[in-house]
Amino acid sequence: MNTLITTLFLGTTRGAVFALVALGLVLVWRGAGIVNFAQMGQAMFSTYVASTLIIKGYGYWFAFLIALAVGAILGAIVDLAVMRPLTRRSHAGVLASDSMRATVPVIASLGILGVLQSLAGMIWAAEERGFPTPVSDVAVKPFGKTAPFTKFDLFIIVVVALTLVVTTLFFKKTGMGLAMRATALNPEVARLSGIRISRVRTLSWAISGVASSLAGLLITPSANLSPNTLDLILIVGFTAAVVGGLDSLPGSVVGGFILGLLIAVINVYVSPDDVFLALLVFLLLVLILKPGGLFASKKVRNV
Amino acid sequence: MLEIRNVVASYGSVVALKDISFTAEIGKITTVIGANGAGKSTLLRLISGLEVATSGAIHWQGESLLGKSPESIVRMGVAHVPEGHAVIAPLTVAENIEMGALFRARSNKDDVKLAIGEVYELFPRLEERKNQLAGTLSGGERQMLAISRALVSRPSLLLLDEPSLGLAPLVVEQIIETIKALCISTGLTVLLVEQNANTALSVADHGVLLSIGSVVADQPAPLMRADSALRSAYLGY
Repeated sequence: MNTLITTLFLGTTRGAVFALVALGLVLVWRGAGIVNFAQMGQAMFSTYVASTLIIKGYGYWFAFLIALAVGAILGAIVDLAVMRPLTRRSHAGVLASDSMRATVPVIASLGILGVLQSLAGMIWAAEERGFPTPVSDVAVKPFGKTAPFTKFDLFIIVVVALTLVVTTLFFKKTGMGLAMRATALNPEVARLSGIRISRVRTLSWAISGVASSLAGLLITPSANLSPNTLDLILIVGFTAAVVGGLDSLPGSVVGGFILGLLIAVINVYVSPDDVFLALLVFLLLVLILKPGGLFASKKVRNV
Repeated sequence: MLEIRNVVASYGSVVALKDISFTAEIGKITTVIGANGAGKSTLLRLISGLEVATSGAIHWQGESLLGKSPESIVRMGVAHVPEGHAVIAPLTVAENIEMGALFRARSNKDDVKLAIGEVYELFPRLEERKNQLAGTLSGGERQMLAISRALVSRPSLLLLDEPSLGLAPLVVEQIIETIKALCISTGLTVLLVEQNANTALSVADHGVLLSIGSVVADQPAPLMRADSALRSAYLGY
């Protein structure tokens, strides 16, 4: 019984992190039509910045906020310096067909991932580092009994829940949120309404950068930090996004939690070796039964 | 005055518009009619900045529009309602309308509220349905919504692309009458593109007839309506 509860807690906290990764991916996919494979590279980079600040003696929270800011800036830079020039119309000669126009930015994102990983290797000598937690990461012991979770687990769940609430409010209640949704759904009508869609897209990249940096900060205490640590997180996050339906924000979040729980259960009750096999089987099942993902946004037919 | 001068546009190797020139008077409804593929939609897309012309000039109240982005052209008072009841289906009716005024929501808060109130007054059915998703509306309501989205930007020039497409005649009449009334009461200039020439000419002040990318007639609407030779040659009735 205790094992089950521990497993569920582990699954939920991991799932919360995957949800953030998936959210970041979906934001960029909806906003710009690009699957950003560099996303966790950006997160790794900002987590290294935080780690360096902490080593230099700055406080956790200062480093935490700086890392989020670095995440936002990196996201915006990727868009402004690479994606925008690549998708500009005047390059029609190089990117003649629609399929090329859709593929090239994705390949470019892989390139950016490579550059970021090498850069991190050069700057931080590719050393594996631990990463601190702001609160204790040993099991909580209320009334002398060992609870199945740590304070840090609770911290993760609260931070992610807050992020989701703020994101939802932003999209539903603010003008910029409406502009972002309109741009994702119908860029032409958005432009005709006066929405400056390239600015809105850059903002999507920045917000996605913040979400993934947050994921990086929350996951590295249990994974150690090296230039490649977050690659696996990206794979799981991407699977979560696809499971949820790549164009659905709530879907990506639910997908993240489902995968977190699935991985925890397989880890504990089957074998850690089978985790990726299970992920693959699960992904295939979802794609066969619901090809658009569990939460594919319903297409309302135009009559 | 909207001034179209020697405009040439092409899609790849296909020339869509060959040297088009005409003007549209302020406060009047000018209709551009012609068969499918005559280049009517392309013309509107050039004016609103969605497409780029090969050569020529387009001026609205003395300011050049060619080469500007759609986002800037809206800010110059030109609103485009594209073909096919262009609303964003997964957003609510209220959100679709609000979207049209987002760019001036901060600088002109009070007027935006006023403008939104006005379109609800114009189309009360939209107010009844303001919390519904736009995708659940009927064709006529969607067209009303698309027009409302454009109107809350307080345009001085309204570009309407085939508002009658797929709608019942009664609904078309209602929409067209509303636009006509708006022209008279607010001095709005309208460029109406229509395949349904009869309806368009009955409401318009001036008519421009396009055929395969060229202007073949440019005259007051009642004259064009009475010209049976023109009708049988180009409009097929």
